[in-house]
Amino acid sequence: MTAALPETAENRYDLGFARWVRDNVEGGDKLSLCMQCGACSGSCPIGTQMDHGPRKIIAMIRAGMKDEVLSSNTLWNCTSCYRCTVRCPRGIPVTSIIQDLAAKAVEFGYADKKENALFAKSFWWSTSAFGRTDERLVTARYYFSLGFLEGIRRGLANLKIALGMVRTGRMHLGMPHKIKDIKGLTAILARAAEIEAEEANDEL
Amino acid sequence: MSSKMKFSYYPGCSSQGSAKHLDESLRAIAPKIGIELEELDDWNCCGASVGHIGGGSLPNTALTGRNLAKAQQQGKQDVVTGCAACYLNTHAGNEKIKSDVKLRRQVNDALSAADLSYDDDLQVRHMCEVIVNDVGMDKIREQVTNPLTGLKVAGYVGCQTVRPFSSTDGGGNYDTYEDPDFLNDFTEACGAEAVDFNLKTSCCGGSVAVMSPDRTLHLIRDILQAAEDAEADVITTPCPLCQTNVEMYQDAINKKFGTKFNIPVIFYSQLMAVAFGMDPDKDAALKRNTIRARKLEKLAKK
Ligand code: SF4
Ligand code: SF4
Repeated sequence: MTAALPETAENRYDLGFARWVRDNVEGGDKLSLCMQCGACSGSCPIGTQMDHGPRKIIAMIRAGMKDEVLSSNTLWNCTSCYRCTVRCPRGIPVTSIIQDLAAKAVEFGYADKKENALFAKSFWWSTSAFGRTDERLVTARYYFSLGFLEGIRRGLANLKIALGMVRTGRMHLGMPHKIKDIKGLTAILARAAEIEAEEANDEL
Repeated sequence: MSSKMKFSYYPGCSSQGSAKHLDESLRAIAPKIGIELEELDDWNCCGASVGHIGGGSLPNTALTGRNLAKAQQQGKQDVVTGCAACYLNTHAGNEKIKSDVKLRRQVNDALSAADLSYDDDLQVRHMCEVIVNDVGMDKIREQVTNPLTGLKVAGYVGCQTVRPFSSTDGGGNYDTYEDPDFLNDFTEACGAEAVDFNLKTSCCGGSVAVMSPDRTLHLIRDILQAAEDAEADVITTPCPLCQTNVEMYQDAINKKFGTKFNIPVIFYSQLMAVAFGMDPDKDAALKRNTIRARKLEKLAKK
């Protein structure tokens, strides 16, 4: 009879995670400066909707709670208001850390179904296809990426808003606005993605 | 200030959609306050708040790199934008590209795919900072031929217009992060009354409000409530996303919280255009607001 392994720091926590964040996440090199004062969480407008506030996320990174950090909704509810960043007494770029962790969560498959990751995908589709954000198409594509029925539901819920935008000329009905040199932009983005892939040594 | 100051003007994607009225009113008032806006040739999207998630960090920075390369071709003048998100991304990207040798090399490697390069030392500035630091309130007051006497205005600054750069050297040190004065100064230079409004730098929810309004409607409700408590006739803002969010969700908020908000939300530049005695539609673009600013429209010169 084999007893279940007792939970130890080694299997519950990934003790290399803090180091990984330090080396791979924008602003991660400043993590060690955090004194857990809580000014960031106390300033956060949307902390009540977060699994963990920014202070706790930093504590969890340092404790090695990789899965909990990368799957927490904190990364997706952050509005980039930069309140925490300008108030942190230790000069830690809290917003950048959270925002870059969101990108990493997508990269490593922690966020495939998260609303905001789907939104980001719709957004990037427009930016890379046209060079511009087409607010109509990004929104529509995003709604329907949530599922057909949800797409219809959200579309109807926001119909009045959309009609108001059309009435005031803030939503046009024609083709998307497009930059002239879309070929050049496509080449730039492709090369940038290539360089990023070559440089990637950030195995999680 | 003697001659006209010339800028490479980056209008941003919202200028062709939800924030047309910011772009139109800025272009209208610019010559009056001694600013020449030369549109940045073939500009692209800045990446907004989710580009790094959808496209990756370097491709997202390359978007800014391309705009800066186009600006470099256009001349030495500073780049200016009226959009908070465009400013945040382009200013931050520019500072990073200028200071991080490796990033500069990577961005230029990517740009070379379209025969572009960026190795200049351009400044990327916010229109509000330019108005504060280069134009000055005297110049605004000089242009006011139609003072907006009796109009009560809640100045809603929002987040990214001031955070995290308004108190940095690169950001022109033009105001504070928590309690900036510039928007109230604009209002008063126009002859209107700036009411006390304690949520002036609270967050509207930004792009999270667009994706998942249920999580953020309470933030906008609080902003509207503070404006109503201050008896404001109108809210002004510099930010495209703030303007749209705070305006378009009022019905949804009334439904969810049983409130009866119907408060117009306009750009400071629309207010200035009216105070400068300009055309309420063509220049101030007042018809573009889904909640019409009736009291301001009555004050406008026909
Ligand atoms: S405000 Fe700064 S030092 Fe304080 S808990 Fe947050 S990150 Fe840490
Ligand atoms: S930037 Fe994000 S984490 Fe920081 S205070 Fe704002 S919403 Fe909260």
